[in-house]
Amino acid sequence: MGLPCGTHNYTYDQDMAILRTKTHWALLIALLVLLFTFPLYGGGYWLSVANLIGITVIAAIGLNILLGYCGQLSIGHAGFIAVGAFTSAILTNVLGLPFLVGLIAAGLMAGFIGLIFGIPSLKVKGFYLAIATIAAQFIIIWVINHLEITGGFVGIAVPYASIGGLVFDSEASMFYLIMVIVVMCTFFAKNLARTRVGRAFVAIRDNDLAAKVMGINLFYYKLLAFFIGCFFAGIAGSLMAHWIGFMNAEQFSLMESILYIGMIIIGGLGTALGPILGVIFIRLMQQGMIFVAPTIEAAFPALPAGFATGIAPMLFGLIIILFLILEPRGIAHRWMLFKAAYRLWPFSY
Amino acid sequence: MAELLQYTVTGVTVGMVYALIGLSFALIWKSSGVANLALGGMVLIFSWFTYGMVVQIGLPYWIGLPLVIIFALAVGWLIERFALRPLIAQPILSLITVTLGVFYFLEGLAIFIWPWMVDALPRVFPPEPFHIGTAVVAQAYIWAAVVSLVLFGVLTLYFRYHKMGIAMRATADDQFAVQACGIPVTRIFSTSWMFACVVAAIAGVLISWIGGLHMGLVEVGLKSFSVVILGGLDSFIGCIVAGPIIGLAENVGGGYLTPLTWAGLKGVIPYIIIIIVLFIKPYGLFGEVRIERI
Repeated sequence: MGLPCGTHNYTYDQDMAILRTKTHWALLIALLVLLFTFPLYGGGYWLSVANLIGITVIAAIGLNILLGYCGQLSIGHAGFIAVGAFTSAILTNVLGLPFLVGLIAAGLMAGFIGLIFGIPSLKVKGFYLAIATIAAQFIIIWVINHLEITGGFVGIAVPYASIGGLVFDSEASMFYLIMVIVVMCTFFAKNLARTRVGRAFVAIRDNDLAAKVMGINLFYYKLLAFFIGCFFAGIAGSLMAHWIGFMNAEQFSLMESILYIGMIIIGGLGTALGPILGVIFIRLMQQGMIFVAPTIEAAFPALPAGFATGIAPMLFGLIIILFLILEPRGIAHRWMLFKAAYRLWPFSY
Repeated sequence: MAELLQYTVTGVTVGMVYALIGLSFALIWKSSGVANLALGGMVLIFSWFTYGMVVQIGLPYWIGLPLVIIFALAVGWLIERFALRPLIAQPILSLITVTLGVFYFLEGLAIFIWPWMVDALPRVFPPEPFHIGTAVVAQAYIWAAVVSLVLFGVLTLYFRYHKMGIAMRATADDQFAVQACGIPVTRIFSTSWMFACVVAAIAGVLISWIGGLHMGLVEVGLKSFSVVILGGLDSFIGCIVAGPIIGLAENVGGGYLTPLTWAGLKGVIPYIIIIIVLFIKPYGLFGEVRIERI
């Protein structure tokens, strides 16, 4: 499955190739061209939506490595993103270091904090780990709110991102920066799953005792998953800080963390495509709600006052439940089915 | 010393309510092995529903509270029937995340109907406080503790002597064997969810008598996870022992350590306890240590 009729693999290289046929290459290049020319035809508003989607995709890819491949549930992802955002903000604003240093340091810092809260994952799993990461979320936000250097409850201003003389001060320039990193992250994640490390993650997810018996060092690989997952969160946080220009711990609530889990479930756990599709689905839906809610509110004055703010979380909760029940493998699986059907059409097999 | 006594009394009484919420968690965990992360949302929605009945519609408590119980039973049944039942025999990860979805939905519902409101339930207990030594405690605290203890006793007796309670314990032990004995496992599940919702509703009402109504009630539910982690997930005794410990740590620790650290420490102490417990004794004080086999 997965290859057009008449295409056969004769060498190991062919078997391992992500892009096997010329059509694959053409489609990929078309997609990249379409993506990187988006600022030319997308309006300013949709550009900012695209930026938000890009940043969220980076964080979701991290969570997908942690939850989708390694099976370690983390409900504190927004907390780790906050670590990255504030690390970058402090380094660039207070210490005046260049953006790239802030970006890398944000990833590393979030990764290390993730390691600390990931240590219990060696002893416990499932629900216990979920609770540990919820605790991480609250402790991180509390510390950020009370450290003097992070600006406390007031927040902290963040300068524009800049590399060398290049300053990313517009939505369009930020778009290119974000999308380059998104493409790099996607490429990394896609290949990680095919390496020894990725296979070890999957083995741990499916049965960690069996994985241990096979000689996989659980401690090392679980913590590695936490580090990589939170590193991505940190990168996303740093980009978010430099994109918004102002950081406040309010933006990183527990509900946000749950939303990230919802995104990768909707997209499809443990697939390279899943986080991207899930993030686009949820973020576009949020935008849709912003447009639709006031109209509905105006049409039905009898609705309670919290309609506009309350309907979104209700719908997301419902969607998460429905996806888990009806399509636990997410949109990515639907996409696979569609591709298979398309390839064989008009024959049934 | 005077303040220590004050902190202790407050801590133990509030801790009893935490224990009650923990009990709600343990009920579901014991019978169906589902970790209910929607607890925060449940406490929130039931407290606000009480507010809607008693304040907004203006019903007296003797009608309003039974209505809340009926509402809780309905919510419990609905959650079990439509969110959990289709996922029977799915991996634990799906079961946890589906309760997260429920949590998200319930919190959205609360924002939908009572958007970011802050209010209080009408007073039921006389305003004169109790005096215990030098400590002064509002009567609501004492009654909350008493109600929690009574409910704990009733549930313990129920699980020991009632046919349904025994069936629930048996289900927790071995679902296949229970099914072979002719006990309807699905009905056990939905009963346990309905019970858990009622317990959460009572705890929600108690905690909102003490602290008023606000969106922060979600955190009361989340804090109670520290109770079940410290007490051990599958133990009622664990809940009733760990609840006051958490309450004590929160109040005494918050009272004495806040000047040394930062404000708001009180709210974070339960989470710090969770991390410490998971590092030292992951299965809690009374929890069953799981030995896994392939």
